[in-house]
Amino acid sequence: MSSDTAQMVQGEGLRPNPLLAWREIDGAIVIISPEDSVVHELNPTASFIWKQLSRNCSTGEIAQQLADEFEVSRETALADTNELVESLAGMRLLSAAETEKGTAHV
Amino acid sequence: MSRTPMMDKLVLRTTDRHLPFSVHLDLTYRCNERCVHCYLDHEDYGEMNTAEMKSVLDQLAEAGTLFLTLSGGEIFLRQDFFELLEHARKLHFDISLKTNALLITPERAKRLKSLGVRKIQVSIYSGDPAIHDGITMVPGSLERSLEAIRYVKSQGMVVALACPLMKQNLGAFRSVIALAEELNVPYVMDMTITPMIDGNHSTVDHRVALSDLLPVLSDTALNPKIGISPSLSAGDSAVSSGMPLPEGGDDICCSAGHNTCYISPYGEVYPCVQLPVGTGNVRTQRFEDIWYRSPEMERISAIRESQLAHCGSCSIRAYCERCPGLALMEGGDIMGAYQRACELAEMNARLAGVPNPISALHAHQQAGGGNVARPATANVFHTASTKLVAIAPLRTN
Repeated sequence: MSSDTAQMVQGEGLRPNPLLAWREIDGAIVIISPEDSVVHELNPTASFIWKQLSRNCSTGEIAQQLADEFEVSRETALADTNELVESLAGMRLLSAAETEKGTAHV
Repeated sequence: MSRTPMMDKLVLRTTDRHLPFSVHLDLTYRCNERCVHCYLDHEDYGEMNTAEMKSVLDQLAEAGTLFLTLSGGEIFLRQDFFELLEHARKLHFDISLKTNALLITPERAKRLKSLGVRKIQVSIYSGDPAIHDGITMVPGSLERSLEAIRYVKSQGMVVALACPLMKQNLGAFRSVIALAEELNVPYVMDMTITPMIDGNHSTVDHRVALSDLLPVLSDTALNPKIGISPSLSAGDSAVSSGMPLPEGGDDICCSAGHNTCYISPYGEVYPCVQLPVGTGNVRTQRFEDIWYRSPEMERISAIRESQLAHCGSCSIRAYCERCPGLALMEGGDIMGAYQRACELAEMNARLAGVPNPISALHAHQQAGGGNVARPATANVFHTASTKLVAIAPLRTN
């Protein structure tokens, strides 16, 4: 597996935790966890990634969109996306997506 | 929601942009308690059905509402309550509930948790069953409510006790504090008792005389700074779901109509549950049309603190809990001062050590200016929309 493929696989299947409250407010995603009542506000790039994750985009697709939108290479965009996904997952803001056959394995 | 710099920033931003950040939606006025001070008419005059409620939730999500408070009446009396809750969850709201909790079972508490409910506010009037049950008119209600609170707590949800203070339970407020400490939950005391929605003033008889409030206001447990206590403030009310405004709030009186509003079970939209100025009805209008284009909503959101005849220049304004809705209902003028707020402010200021505090209204009256605030005899329950009932400020739950 190439490093690129490994990075893509890393964040696959992770989606916004369905128990979270979140909304786009004035261009930024604001998230509240009912577990601890902590409020998170994402910066514009992270907000873009969050919205794409909520639309079931893969990290590879998101990286491509970022590369198209901003002047960054796809590799850099993918690394940044995976880093953010990992960070959000670490805060339990992302969770494994439910599939028709059950919980996706990541 | 606790105050943090980030929340303050969001509140200011949504206020500035006039976004409906927080909405209080009453699902029903029906109730299984009959609290003596309650302002509601518990008959069902045609509350919104499931499809209408879901449409309202869809529109709120689209308009950018994040904080959703579901209240009543008693919310668990709606047969479709969990269906609505599931719908709200799919729309990613931050969900808070106001309830008497009588119908919360361990299974329901678990389901609430699984649907991401963050906070539940339960009305508790006293630690003494005789007093609490005497107010709710339901024998055994204190025990059942406390049992439900324990179910909800065991699921890890935030629970808060709400205690409207009235003649019947004034002497029992310390027992509510003791209960809150025992349960390890926050509490809020509220001194607001208002007329009923049909204009009947009988509920006001339960209101505590200001002179009798002194022991409460001077109790260091409630009022550690002997001034305006967070647990007594209008911004953190047992009634209103408005958002406390941080400093720098563009000279506005409160969040009503700026970034918060209230929707009745009949679809009527008001700036706040405590501000009975009808602005439209979601049964016949799009929410966004009401929120952004209703003349009444525009009029309310245009009011600035500095425009208030007396309050804008009052020397003890910092000790006052003036509410525009209560100004309308108590004094007949949304821009005016009203006696109870002025007297409470003077009492708070005196407790804080201010020498000879006097409100601007009272100073005006002493100077021979007469009583500016009109008595609360006028029918203030008016609305622009066709309505079956109107609203008033104090809820049962």
